[in-house]
Amino acid sequence: MVRFVKKPYVIVNIVLAGVIVMIMIYSAIFSPDEDEYPVVCIHEKITGEPCVSCGLSHSFSLILRGRLNEAYSWNVYGMRVFLFFSLQLIMRVFFSFCYIKFIDTRKQLIMMDIIGSVLLFLISFRQFFIYIFQYC
Amino acid sequence: MEEESTKKTGQNLGIAALITAIITFVFAVIPCVGLMAIIPGIIAIVLASVGLSHAARTDSPRGILIAGLIIGIVATMISFSQVFVAGKIAQKADKWPDVIEDVVLDVKKDVLEDLEDANISIKIENGDETVEISTSVNKKELVETLEELEGEEDSTDMDTLEQE
Repeated sequence: MVRFVKKPYVIVNIVLAGVIVMIMIYSAIFSPDEDEYPVVCIHEKITGEPCVSCGLSHSFSLILRGRLNEAYSWNVYGMRVFLFFSLQLIMRVFFSFCYIKFIDTRKQLIMMDIIGSVLLFLISFRQFFIYIFQYC
Repeated sequence: MEEESTKKTGQNLGIAALITAIITFVFAVIPCVGLMAIIPGIIAIVLASVGLSHAARTDSPRGILIAGLIIGIVATMISFSQVFVAGKIAQKADKWPDVIEDVVLDVKKDVLEDLEDANISIKIENGDETVEISTSVNKKELVETLEELEGEEDSTDMDTLEQE
């Protein structure tokens, strides 16, 4: 088992899963009612205008607490991005397990992971891309 | 033994570069924190570059390193583009007063154009008596009336001259 954990693909998966868990913990620790989030929108600070991702931390915290309607009102795309991170967490565990279990299909597995993750990313962050590139 | 350790260092650098690049890419796309992603983006590029130089010396696989480098460069570029996005929005915000002024001028022009072709009707009621004054300030009608009046005046002048 330790032999497999040393494989680069598994290490990448473990670290990425750890980052996602940290995002979830961050959303769970900070209460949306107290509004004491340490991350502020740089965009809003510079331009004075709220951007498309403003309220994402609030939205994540509210989703974790099951207040979905409020989460939707804080950021329309919050749910989509939260689902992306949740699915990625599941995918990291699943693909790592498959990588260890099915030795013969590793290349296909990695290709599937890359294609699936890229597609999921593009779908989830589509509006953010549109927002960025409309000004470029 | 030493070569194996250098190979491992190269691979570890590749893993670190790839992870940093992927995280940077995700954060670079989020406008709120996109600008901050420049720093990890540069770190990913540096890690991948150092790893590539190690790999070149030891002939170790470069797949992860190249992937980390490419994702890192793209992520840094997206993150850097946020500077222009912020600049454009700020510029747009500065232009707003001019835009509002233009809108006010347009509305004023439209109102004046509408008034030129307006029909005015005044109705005065006093018990059973009702007086209604209707007038049109249609520009076309006014021009026609003026032309008619001028025409009548001209013909009257001609008659006077003929009589003399």
